[in-house]
Amino acid sequence: MKVPYSWLKDFVDIDGISAEVLGDKLVSAGFEIEEVIRLSDSIKNVVVGRVEEIVRHPDSDHMFVCQVNVGDKVCQIVTGAQNVKKGDLVPTCLDGAVLPDGKTIKSGVLRGVKSEGMLCSGAELGLTEDDFVGAGVYGIWIIREKCSIGQDINEVIGNTDIVLDVAVTANRPDANSILGVAREVAAVLDKPLKMPDLSYKTVGEDVSSYVSVENKEQALCPRYIACAVKNVKQCVSPKIMRDRLKAVGIRPINNLVDVTNYVLIEIGQPMHAFDKKLLEGGKIVVRTAQEGEKIVALDGKEYALSSRNLVICDSKKPVAVAGVMGGEYSSICPDTDTVILESARFARDSVRHTARELNLHSDSSARFEKGIDFLSQEIGMKRALALFFQNGWGDIVDGKIDCFAENTDDRKIVYNYEEINKITGFEVPKDAIVDILNRLQLKTTAEGDILTTLVPAFREDIVGINDLTEEVIRIYGYDAVTPRILSDMRGGKNEKQLRQDKLKQILVGKGASEIVSYAFVTPKSADFLRLNADSPLRSMIALRNPLGADISVMRTNLAYSMLKIIEGNFVRGNRAGRLFEIGSTYIPKALPLTELPEEKEKLSVAFYGDGEDYYSIKNVLDDIFSAFAIEVSYKRSATEYLHPGRSADIFAADGTKIGVVGEVHPDVMSKLDVDKRIYIAELDEVYLVENGLDIKPFKPISRYQSVERDLALIAPIDLPAAEIIASIKDSCSDLLQDAYVFDVYTGGQVQKGKKSIAVRLLFTDFTKTLTDETINKEIENVLAGFGEKSICLR
Amino acid sequence: MIDKIKEISDAVSEKISRITSLNELSDLRVRYLGKNGEITALLKGLKSISAEERPSVGKHINELRQKVDEMLSAYEDRFIALQKEKKMKEEEIDVTLSMPDKNACGSLHPLTLAKNELINAFTGMGFSVLEGVEVEEDYYNFQLLNIPADHPARDMQDTFYITDKILLRTQTSAVQARTMLSQKPPIRVICPGKVYRADDDATHSPMFHQMEGLVVDKNVNICDLKGCLDEFARSFFGADTRTRLRPSYFPFTEPSMEMDVSCFMCHGKGCRLCKGTGWIEVLGAGIVNPVVLENCGIDSKEYSGFAFGIGIERCAMLKYGIPDIRILFENDLRFLRQYK
Repeated sequence: MKVPYSWLKDFVDIDGISAEVLGDKLVSAGFEIEEVIRLSDSIKNVVVGRVEEIVRHPDSDHMFVCQVNVGDKVCQIVTGAQNVKKGDLVPTCLDGAVLPDGKTIKSGVLRGVKSEGMLCSGAELGLTEDDFVGAGVYGIWIIREKCSIGQDINEVIGNTDIVLDVAVTANRPDANSILGVAREVAAVLDKPLKMPDLSYKTVGEDVSSYVSVENKEQALCPRYIACAVKNVKQCVSPKIMRDRLKAVGIRPINNLVDVTNYVLIEIGQPMHAFDKKLLEGGKIVVRTAQEGEKIVALDGKEYALSSRNLVICDSKKPVAVAGVMGGEYSSICPDTDTVILESARFARDSVRHTARELNLHSDSSARFEKGIDFLSQEIGMKRALALFFQNGWGDIVDGKIDCFAENTDDRKIVYNYEEINKITGFEVPKDAIVDILNRLQLKTTAEGDILTTLVPAFREDIVGINDLTEEVIRIYGYDAVTPRILSDMRGGKNEKQLRQDKLKQILVGKGASEIVSYAFVTPKSADFLRLNADSPLRSMIALRNPLGADISVMRTNLAYSMLKIIEGNFVRGNRAGRLFEIGSTYIPKALPLTELPEEKEKLSVAFYGDGEDYYSIKNVLDDIFSAFAIEVSYKRSATEYLHPGRSADIFAADGTKIGVVGEVHPDVMSKLDVDKRIYIAELDEVYLVENGLDIKPFKPISRYQSVERDLALIAPIDLPAAEIIASIKDSCSDLLQDAYVFDVYTGGQVQKGKKSIAVRLLFTDFTKTLTDETINKEIENVLAGFGEKSICLR
Repeated sequence: MIDKIKEISDAVSEKISRITSLNELSDLRVRYLGKNGEITALLKGLKSISAEERPSVGKHINELRQKVDEMLSAYEDRFIALQKEKKMKEEEIDVTLSMPDKNACGSLHPLTLAKNELINAFTGMGFSVLEGVEVEEDYYNFQLLNIPADHPARDMQDTFYITDKILLRTQTSAVQARTMLSQKPPIRVICPGKVYRADDDATHSPMFHQMEGLVVDKNVNICDLKGCLDEFARSFFGADTRTRLRPSYFPFTEPSMEMDVSCFMCHGKGCRLCKGTGWIEVLGAGIVNPVVLENCGIDSKEYSGFAFGIGIERCAMLKYGIPDIRILFENDLRFLRQYK
């Protein structure tokens, strides 16, 4: 809400209070100041100059060289204008001057003659002939106003206002006007509020003989007031009105348009003016549009309407989209003689939906969308009529038509003042409460400790004690709040949250960096990942109003996001890396959604670059499983986006599939701008944190030395190592502590179709030193245990 | 005899000064102190000396033996030390050399770092951590929180809708509503998590993270709110942080307020970070609107509460000096690795 200082002064005495001080006070009262705009900042270093001498340019047939007295000196300025004479007062841009269009004027040399600035036109100062006589001519503006040589041009043209851009919170539509802000300013400064002049005289007759109003949609249009003004005079609005409108960013047009905008800004009430003779049947009907009805709005475009749009019609056709924009047909034209003024309240969401649906927005629709209070229709109409009357713009017909559906009486709240202090937690004295509420136009009286507050209809936001407390404390000041420490209570992260922290720490220790990616992806991600036609992961929840197709569905796995993040890194020169992410996937039970989807938290891990391979990522996973004491087994995987020969499904001991790991499929890689292999895993993070152990039960350590025994085995090349280890573990007694592969070798002297595999066995006895005999017996069992597997010692 | 002693003594001194290896040293020991060594021989020769002279000569020989033994031992110690030193000198490496380490530790995302710091500030005050669903019902995200369908607050939050009734949560307050429905007071929870709004520029991301907090108990008031949030501000922004509350508006709290902290860059003097005001806006808060308590089945006559919401991105950007929210979601390793 842009609030010019000069306009605010009409309603509250702010003389001697700087914009900064007033701004701080408004911030403390809950109105943030977005910006303090000094209008004079738009024109700098332009002063009134008097042309003391003017001669032709020695080297040009259309330019003149002027000696211009600017008060403290005389400047030489070259001009191309033909309307300047000796003795004229002219706007003179000095070196470094800034004009409203942002142009900067510098001293220079024009065809060999020094020019220390520029003489400017009215247009260059943003003025028209309507503003000042001579300001609209082609050429330099010859100033006829009262002014002095050397005076800042801003003072001459009245461009000195300060505008506060006040942010109004959504609960305070009543403050979206100069009057509304003035109410707040009066309260914070503890000064009286002067109401606008609403007085006017009528000329007899009755409005009902000019127009009738039928309101068919009282829910969408709770109030509709119409008045008539005849013998209207169309002219340029007074300068003060034009300046104020310009200061808030509205272009002045003529008095009939300007007056509606003026009331919109001052009172917060959107108004509309119809040409009476263009309302067929002399009738206004408020109704919803019929399907297929059309209207050409004031912007010249045709809009197709639907039954969801509220329209203002005459007896035949729509003449305005209610609260949004008038129709071109019934708008004011040069021969308009009688206007019908509309001041109405339209439902907030109806205007919002219509404006969005038609993609048609105006100052009026913006105001209705924020909501307007109950009282401003009447005040707005009276103010508009008063402006007609005071300026002699027409004859006001007696009476008003008021289709009125709502009660605008004050609401009464009766309460003990202690209830307010129960919320604040400290004592605000009763007298202060009464005083503050009255300053805010909330008429409050006290009888003992019991207060009675009458809430006017424009404060729809105030319904109970909490609302009144806010009113009191925002004026009383939050500085009075004394902090109090909360009582003791047990809190903290739960087990699962702590395990997730541990999981992340392990990954960080393994060199992985955590990423956070968008939970929405492109629907094309399913094809990108080669998901089978019947893959459940293809059921992705689509947003109705996504910001773009690439972020329009909720992801069902993390792999796509991870791969795209790696690609982004790779193309920026990060040619190797380890990344991980913990994030939700969104699995619908059915589409379209009828109930909330299952949100499964997953862990994605990916390694890429030189030196990484399947085993480097698998080792890290193994370490995680071991840290959480989760036993797993790996089986060859058929995951669509993974290399079929280099990927595994991971199963927990209870048979639950808890993830996949593998190299990214070549067909997926071919779509990525990454020329290093990527190894990726996706684990069921919830299983890990729910089933993992933080601290494992104690296992005794033997007092006797362990014995290592290495076996060099020859095995079929496709026999999984896990099977060999499993067989060894089965064959040995409890003395076997561990068995693992430490080398695999093919080619060379190893027969084709076979691999050499070196296994280390670790034996421990808790009661005595192990003898060779015992261990040899174990090894015999191991070899025997291989049975049919065609494994032999090398 | 005495001459012989002197002669041996001189010879040993001279020979020791010339040896170059431990072997030579050991040879000297054998030559003089060994079973057949020269000093041993002298001792054996004592027999042939008169009884009167024997004690004095014997004493001299023993002194010689002791002196030689000491000289040899001292020399041996020095020699071994020298040898060790020489070996270590040979083993010298360039201790300043560093090469890229594949096993260098990774990093937590700055949003996780900020989130953890926020959580720690509040768990220390007895808050528990709750997470809820991101795909949420309109009912929990808006209606229970006093934001009916045509409420202007819905414009404050451009919502991603999935169906008429299901949406991506715009605030983690939905978790609070569910908590109040399922738990009896006293309630003291924080709810960190992802939230979504249809907004995308240098300071807004369509997905971002929030942490909201809720306290419901008997006699909770604005003084409790300020005490709790002051404590958080000092914990997160530094012990000398000052705070101020300003009135604001949120539909689920009344009174509503925003909290500013004194700028930790300029300590309130005014700088670029705080846009010259000396204050930085960090969170929204307020007394839980009694309508919301009642909506969630809590008797607002008996209980009251306060709630607050903190933007995790904003905290991370402020604290770590990150200028653009989009950097957080690009996940460039050169950025991520800065947060080891």
